[in-house]
Amino acid sequence: MSDLQFRSALSHRRDEDLPMDLCVSLDEVSDRAMIDLRGSLDDPKFVAAATAALGVALPAQPRSSSVKGDITVLWMSVDQWLVTTPRGSEQALLSKLVKRLGNTFSFACDVSDARTIIRVSGGDARSVLMKGTSVDLQSPVVKPGWVRRLLFAEVAAACQFVHSDPDTFDVYVFRSYADYVWEWLLAVARKGARVQLYGKQEPPLV
Amino acid sequence: MSGQPYRLPANVGSGTTGRILDRSRRIAFSFDGKSLSGHPGDTVASALFANGIRLVGRSFKYHRPRGVIGSGADEPNALISVGESGRHEPNQRATQVELYDGLVSKSQNNWPNLKFDIGQINSKFSRLIPAGFYYKTFMWPQSAWMFYEHFIRNAAGLGTAASEPDPDTYEHMHATCDVLVVGGGVAGLAAAQSAAAAGARVMVVDECARLGGLADSSSGLIESSPQTEWVQSTVSTLAAAENVHLMTRTIAAGHYHHNWCLLLERVTDHDPSLAIQGAPRHRLWKVRANQIVMATGALERPLTFANNDRPGVLLASAARIYVNRYGVSPGRRGVVFTNNDDAYQTALDLTRAGVPLARVVDVRTDPRGELVEEARAAGIEVVTGMAVTNVDTVAAGAKIQSVKVAPYKAGSRIGGREERIECDFVAVSGGWNPAVHLYCHTSGKVKFDEDLQSFKPDRSFDQITPVGAANGTYDLDGLISEASNTGAAVAKKAVGSKVKRSKSDRPLASSPKAGKLEPVWFVPATGALNEGNKHFVDFQNDVTAADLELAAREGYRSVEHIKRYTTLGMATDQGKTSNINALGVLTGALQSAIPQIGTTTFRPPYTPISFGAIAGTNAGNRFLVVRRTPPYEWHCENRADFEPIGQWRRPYCYPKPGDSRHDAINREILSVRNEVGLLDASTLGKIELKGPDAAKLLDRVYTNTFSTLKVGKGRYGLMLNEEGFLMDDGVTVRLADDHFLMHTTSGGADRIAGWLEEWLQTEWSDLKVYVTPVTEQWAQFAIAGPNARNVLENLDGDIDFSADSFEFMSMKVGRLTGYPVRAFRISFSGELSYEIATPSNFGHSLWLALLEAGENHGIQAYGTEALHVLRAEKGFIVVGDESDGTVTPLDLGLGWAVSKKKDDYIGKRSLERAYLAAPKRKQLVGLLTQDPQEVLPDGAYAVAELKDKPPMEMIGQVTSAYWSPTVGRSIAMALIKDGRNRLGDVVDFPLDNGKVVKATIVDPVFYDKEGAKQNV
Repeated sequence: MSDLQFRSALSHRRDEDLPMDLCVSLDEVSDRAMIDLRGSLDDPKFVAAATAALGVALPAQPRSSSVKGDITVLWMSVDQWLVTTPRGSEQALLSKLVKRLGNTFSFACDVSDARTIIRVSGGDARSVLMKGTSVDLQSPVVKPGWVRRLLFAEVAAACQFVHSDPDTFDVYVFRSYADYVWEWLLAVARKGARVQLYGKQEPPLV
Repeated sequence: MSGQPYRLPANVGSGTTGRILDRSRRIAFSFDGKSLSGHPGDTVASALFANGIRLVGRSFKYHRPRGVIGSGADEPNALISVGESGRHEPNQRATQVELYDGLVSKSQNNWPNLKFDIGQINSKFSRLIPAGFYYKTFMWPQSAWMFYEHFIRNAAGLGTAASEPDPDTYEHMHATCDVLVVGGGVAGLAAAQSAAAAGARVMVVDECARLGGLADSSSGLIESSPQTEWVQSTVSTLAAAENVHLMTRTIAAGHYHHNWCLLLERVTDHDPSLAIQGAPRHRLWKVRANQIVMATGALERPLTFANNDRPGVLLASAARIYVNRYGVSPGRRGVVFTNNDDAYQTALDLTRAGVPLARVVDVRTDPRGELVEEARAAGIEVVTGMAVTNVDTVAAGAKIQSVKVAPYKAGSRIGGREERIECDFVAVSGGWNPAVHLYCHTSGKVKFDEDLQSFKPDRSFDQITPVGAANGTYDLDGLISEASNTGAAVAKKAVGSKVKRSKSDRPLASSPKAGKLEPVWFVPATGALNEGNKHFVDFQNDVTAADLELAAREGYRSVEHIKRYTTLGMATDQGKTSNINALGVLTGALQSAIPQIGTTTFRPPYTPISFGAIAGTNAGNRFLVVRRTPPYEWHCENRADFEPIGQWRRPYCYPKPGDSRHDAINREILSVRNEVGLLDASTLGKIELKGPDAAKLLDRVYTNTFSTLKVGKGRYGLMLNEEGFLMDDGVTVRLADDHFLMHTTSGGADRIAGWLEEWLQTEWSDLKVYVTPVTEQWAQFAIAGPNARNVLENLDGDIDFSADSFEFMSMKVGRLTGYPVRAFRISFSGELSYEIATPSNFGHSLWLALLEAGENHGIQAYGTEALHVLRAEKGFIVVGDESDGTVTPLDLGLGWAVSKKKDDYIGKRSLERAYLAAPKRKQLVGLLTQDPQEVLPDGAYAVAELKDKPPMEMIGQVTSAYWSPTVGRSIAMALIKDGRNRLGDVVDFPLDNGKVVKATIVDPVFYDKEGAKQNV
């Protein structure tokens, strides 16, 4: 295993090629593996098995997530969750899930390489992302842990508000779109294109 | 004041002449190549006035000399081109273009130059080009339109497009607010203030560089002080608030359903140096507002008299705005011509600033408003019951010398003593029209108001509330009260605020009591011969009162038809100054009142928005969404010639230096046939299905049976839609009893996943199956050719690739040179072939490992074209080539894959319909051209009988055609009527160029019919 060459979608983009004048920081998060989990919250056996295997309850509320230790579970739809875990731990976690889930009607599938996570961080993260999505990221409901599937720059994506101070979002896009979305973010995140929406501002001339 | 002869001294008298001008700095700019100067604060229009330039353009149809009429978005005449090469943009309103150092501007629609323009000869022949002249003249002979059009397009039109690609950037922005206030004048600010105080998130947008609207040029006081003082303090308060966003230079271009608004923010137009720092030139805002307050103000309308388009005739409000705001005089000596009180403010402001005023000419016999009295008291000469009937000019119509004034009585001919008054400008006011455009974009209704003699908002189906002048409320105190109450009320609707308001929460204002307006739609010219005396209604499209009357005489009744026939209101200003005056003229011509005539439709955008802004960030390398496969970098480094397949970029072929595409494709095909080739098939759709009913679902969506498939085996399946037509195909593999991996076509990946979900969620909710698309999880490569097995065996791993162990149509899971893989033995080329899938992040590395392992076996990467030729040589279909949504499996000779035993599957019943089950349908066959070198074009039609010219009976079409290096000749597949019964027949394919290709119908398998090559 040691000499396997792992190449994430954005690994060919080097930090030194990043423009200096960005108003947010952009990073690829490539050290997270992902498991797509399907099952019904109405099935107590499924819920119990999933919770036991993951060590954390499945978030039942739409647009929410739950975290425990290294494992984060994102709500994706009424019967779908995206479990993220450090790369290298996914096969063990998957086996554990499969074993616990047994014959319950459910499906846990390794999708670690299907998506690319782009982390957008900084005081302007919300307004930079709002150039590509109609979702109101300034709404008070956007708190740490908030998750939403959305259309970003005309591409299907999921967005998780990781933490504030500074505002940090993880944008999940399917791997093949990573370069396009990265280019798109480079274009809209330039300091000169900064947008401050609401808040104190210099009074316009009269 | 050298070089700016019309610039007035600062702050003359008690006023604030040139309020926004920074006279300490000069700005150099050019107009038609002439170097001029202005000051920060100037627009191109005000700077041209300051420099004594009145002639700024030529009119659209008659090429008449034209000057600035207005001071804002309504300007119909002063359209200029700004910028050079890639930054050149035509048709900008000089009244809204802010001056910056080095600005290059040009007049439009003239040749060879503005002062001497050949096109003005159109004026002389104006009787030959009446309303509807296109429709009348160029209808005959019909075939000649293409010829006429060339000349018409050159003679008409305005500016020219940019000659280079636009170097600027553009972007979009989304926002959500509780209350969107459109218009930052007194009404808008008052509404914003009370809405913000109630806790709403408020956005205020204004098209100008400054907030305040007409506060600096309207009569009336707020809290006993000039209006600008209140504006200043209110803007400061709003800017400091956390819940308010103020935007200037932003036009609310359109209002759409559910309170969705499109705004255009001009970010760098006033200061191009910002673009260098990365600012987009324009930003297109898409705003979802819970409530909209429309405080868009009102637009002044001109008066319709003879030669009312001469440079020097301008709106009364514009005349005082140029004086108050920009410190320029519109001329040396003026006349004010009005039918209402507001123009008296112009007379007062001009007089205060020392601009000589010859007369105020008022059509009303007994005007009694407070402003009238004030003007009289200030010693301004006012004549009543009189009208300006004509304008005398010199310099070929470009300069006013005097006006004619005569007694006027509505409805009568002009009679009595005519007076000539010397002047060089005329400030006109015909009243004010509420700017209802936004209100009407979503079918909001307007009603005619007799007092205003204009339309005002009536009812809307959306959450948009007009306030102030936009609602026809012109009295200052009433306006503030209305706006303030509305702001609070809509905020309460949006956020359910419980903040109590009292009357003292709004500022008190006072303004002079105005007298009644008298409608004047048309002032006849005096004298017997009226030739050449045009009364312009629509300045930008050169529509005169006579044109409208002609249209009425010719039988047009609907105002929408008259609009299109005469082109009234169809120019870039969309009739902002002309709309109501035209209706007024039509009251006479149609003998009916304005409410009965109705108004034309207001459509977005309010003022034109740039194409760049519409494209936003999706330009250049972001124009289209592009999907990359894991070894994309390798493809680029190895000279891949890419082709778009949906959003994917796939290598079409890999030309070596000196190779043509054709050379490369032939080389790649032969390497697969003779040695081994490697294809990046990662785009292939992959969907996992798991659950106790997975097999049952597959049996229903495919025409053949999957419940009988053994674990570890694969089967090719055909998927039909409910109409019985083929929509997808691919190999599905059984991973476990309750677990399958479905392969779809590359283009079908998302669609088929959606299709399965739809059936599961809406029709078969009893089936227990989960569907998870995994296309992106796996990189997948086809390794095909006689040496394929040798290459794989060259790599360390735990998979036995031997013929005995690894049968055709089976799969194994294991490791290959350390990488976790799923290996499939399937073939789309007819060769010994495997497909190897590995998680995408290992894809690039495994690709390299396979190439390295194959080096001694002659391995070559091959692209999609080789893939297509290879499958066509074997007669394999491609969904979308051989099928087009009207083709069944039976048509394609794939009956063997359609179960006769199954109770049901999607499309089964349709296949039994008489039409689909009928004999002699178009059927898939092969074609061999008589000339083996000739490759038929895709889509070429076969005909039953060749004739000299169409129509000929078509009996089918070519679905795929290639040069096959394997068989050394051209091959093709086609759908031909009753084709399977016609083997050996020769059919004709007449082509576009007159050539006829003859081809023999054959079996569609051209190579290795017995399948020996893959059976090794």
